Amino acid sequence: MSRSSRICLLPLAALAASAPAQATVYLSIEDAQRAMFGEQAMTARPLTLDAAQMKAIEQASGVPVRGSLLRAWRAADGGWFLLDAVIGKSELITYALGLDTQGRIKQVEVLEYRESHGGEIRYPGWRKQFVDKTVGNELRIGDDIDGISGATLSCEHVTDGIRRLVAAWALVLKPLG
Amino acid sequence: MALNLLLPSSRHRVLAACALSLFTTALPAAADSRQEQLEQKVDALAKQLEALQAELRALKAEAAATSAATSAQAPAPTQTPASTAAVAAYVDPSTAPTRQDARAAAEHREAFLSGYGEVNYNHYDHDSSRDEATVRRAVFGIGYRFNDSTSLVSEFETENAVVSADDGGEFEVEQFYIDHRYNEHVASRIGLILIPIGYLNTAHEPTRYFGVERNNIETRIIPSTEREGGISLYGRTGYGLSYDLGLTTSFNLANWDFGSAEGAESPLGSIHGELTNSRAADLAQYVSLNYDGIAGLNFGGSVFTGEVGQNQDVGVSASPRFLLWESHARYVHGPLQLQALYAHGGFSDTAALNLANAGALTPIPKAFYGWYAQGAYRVWRSGDYALTPFVRFERYNTGADYANQPAGFGSADRLTETVLTSGASFYLTPNVVLKADYQHYRRASEDNRFNLGLGLQFY
Repeated sequence: MSRSSRICLLPLAALAASAPAQATVYLSIEDAQRAMFGEQAMTARPLTLDAAQMKAIEQASGVPVRGSLLRAWRAADGGWFLLDAVIGKSELITYALGLDTQGRIKQVEVLEYRESHGGEIRYPGWRKQFVDKTVGNELRIGDDIDGISGATLSCEHVTDGIRRLVAAWALVLKPLG
Repeated sequence: MALNLLLPSSRHRVLAACALSLFTTALPAAADSRQEQLEQKVDALAKQLEALQAELRALKAEAAATSAATSAQAPAPTQTPASTAAVAAYVDPSTAPTRQDARAAAEHREAFLSGYGEVNYNHYDHDSSRDEATVRRAVFGIGYRFNDSTSLVSEFETENAVVSADDGGEFEVEQFYIDHRYNEHVASRIGLILIPIGYLNTAHEPTRYFGVERNNIETRIIPSTEREGGISLYGRTGYGLSYDLGLTTSFNLANWDFGSAEGAESPLGSIHGELTNSRAADLAQYVSLNYDGIAGLNFGGSVFTGEVGQNQDVGVSASPRFLLWESHARYVHGPLQLQALYAHGGFSDTAALNLANAGALTPIPKAFYGWYAQGAYRVWRSGDYALTPFVRFERYNTGADYANQPAGFGSADRLTETVLTSGASFYLTPNVVLKADYQHYRRASEDNRFNLGLGLQFY
C-alpha cells in the first residue's frame, strides 16, 4: 500500500474517531434484523456498485446515488436487509429496509436519529405506509406516502432513500437470484 | 504496521541530517577547511541516504511478504456470489469506511446554512396606484453544531429589500437560540424562539403554504412571525404525541396606539416586542400539543397567555392580561391536502383604559378571532414539476368586542370580514415555487387583488 493511499485514509480514521458519541441509537443492526426476520440467520452480503449500476439506480429512482456500497444482508429465506443513511435536515438518519424474496417491503426501521426536529418519522403509523410496496409503486411523498407536518424534510429524504433502495433491489439484488 | 511507524521516522532522520548540515555550514571557519568539511559531510550524507534506501527496500519486501501471507490466511467469503459484476470486493459493512460514509460525514458538518424568501407582486382591482412589487422577505439562517446534542439556530430576515431611514424595509433577527437535547423525549430551546402556535408561525417558508401572501388568520389573529425570548421544553412520545411548553417574554400594553389602525389590523402584532429591548417584568407562558400518530393526519392546539402591563403605568390598576389560543387540523392523502384552523384572542382588565380613551380609533379588544378552511389538490406532476390549485375561505374579526364603550360616543365593535382566496402553486422543484392567486374581500373590497409570487427555500 502506497503512502499516498494511507494518507487518503487519514480523514476517514479521524471521522471514525470523532463519530458522534450522543446520537440516539434506537435499534442496533441485530435488533432491526430480528424485528424484520425473526431468528433467521442473516449473512452479510455487501455489494460494491459499479458506475453503470449507480447510474441505472439513479435513473430508475430519480434519486442521486452517492455511495458505491450497498450494505446488504441476506436472510435465510432469501429476503434482504438493507442498511442506509440519509440527511434529515442537516443530520444523518440511519435506517434499515427489509424486503421479502419478491422485493416487497416488509418493514422500515429507524436505527439512529440525531436531530431535535423531525423525529416523528419513528412513529409506527408513518412507517407502516411502506409495508408491501415494491418496484412500480411511486414511493413518493404526496403520492402513495403521506408526510408529517412537523417532519417534512425527514419524511421526504427517508422516502427518497427507500425508493433508491427498492430500485437497487430490482437492478442489482434480484438478478443474484 | 511496522512500515507505518518507520517511514515517518526515517524521513525525520533525513530531515534532521539536513538541518544539522545547514547548521554546521553556518559556522565561521577558514575557506579551505570549510570546503573540506563540506565534502566530508556530503559524503557522510550520501552514505546515510544509501543506508536508508536499503532499509526501505528491506521493509517494502517484508511488508509485501506479510500482506501476501495475510491474504492467503483470510477466509473466503461464506457465500461466493456466482458470476456477477456487482460484487467487486468483500468488505464487512459494519466496519469499513466507504465513499458514502465520507460523503455523509462531509454533510454532517459543524456549520450549516439555510434560507428562504419570496418576491411578490400585488395588483389591486380598484386602485392600481396601490400596485406593488417587492422582495417581501429574504432570510438567511446560520446554524452551528457545538456537539451532537447542542446547536445554534439563527435566522436573519430582511423585509422589502432596502433598510434605511428613507425606505420601508426592516432587518430582523427572527430566531436566535440554542437547541439542546437531553434525551430521546426531552429537548429545550433557549434564546429568541418562535412560539409554536398554529401552522404558519413555525413553518413559514413560502413553499410550505398556499397563496402568495400569508393567510389573514395567522397574521392578524396569530401575529406571525410571533417570537419571544425565553426557554422551551419540547419533545415527543413514541406514538405520535408531541408537546412544547415555554416561558417567554410577553407583550407590552404601553405600546398600544389608540390612534393608529395598526391595532385593528393585528391587535397582538401591534404590541409585540420581538426581543428588541423587550420589557421583561411580566412573562408569558405557552403550551402546545400535536398528534401525528396516524399517517397523513395532524391535529393539535395551543394556549399562549401572560400579563402585559410590565409594571408600567399603563393607566389601569388591574393587571391586564392577553390570552391567545388556537386549534388546528390537517389531512394529507396523496395529492389532496385539507387544512383548517381556529384562533381566538383577547385582552382582560382593559375596560378602564378603553373608557379613558373613549371615542379613540382603536380601543383594546376584549375579543378577536378568526378561522379558515383550505383545500388543495395536486392535479399534475412530472418529475419535480407539480401544479397544485387551492382555495381558502377565511373569516375574522380583529375587534369583535370592545369592552366598556360608553353609549353614544364609544367605538362600535368591528364587523367580521370574509376573504376568499383561490389560486395555484407551480413547483419547479419541491423547494422553488411560482404562485398566483386572487383574493376577494367581502367588506374591504378595496383590498381585492391579484397576486403573483416567487418563493424558495434551501437548507
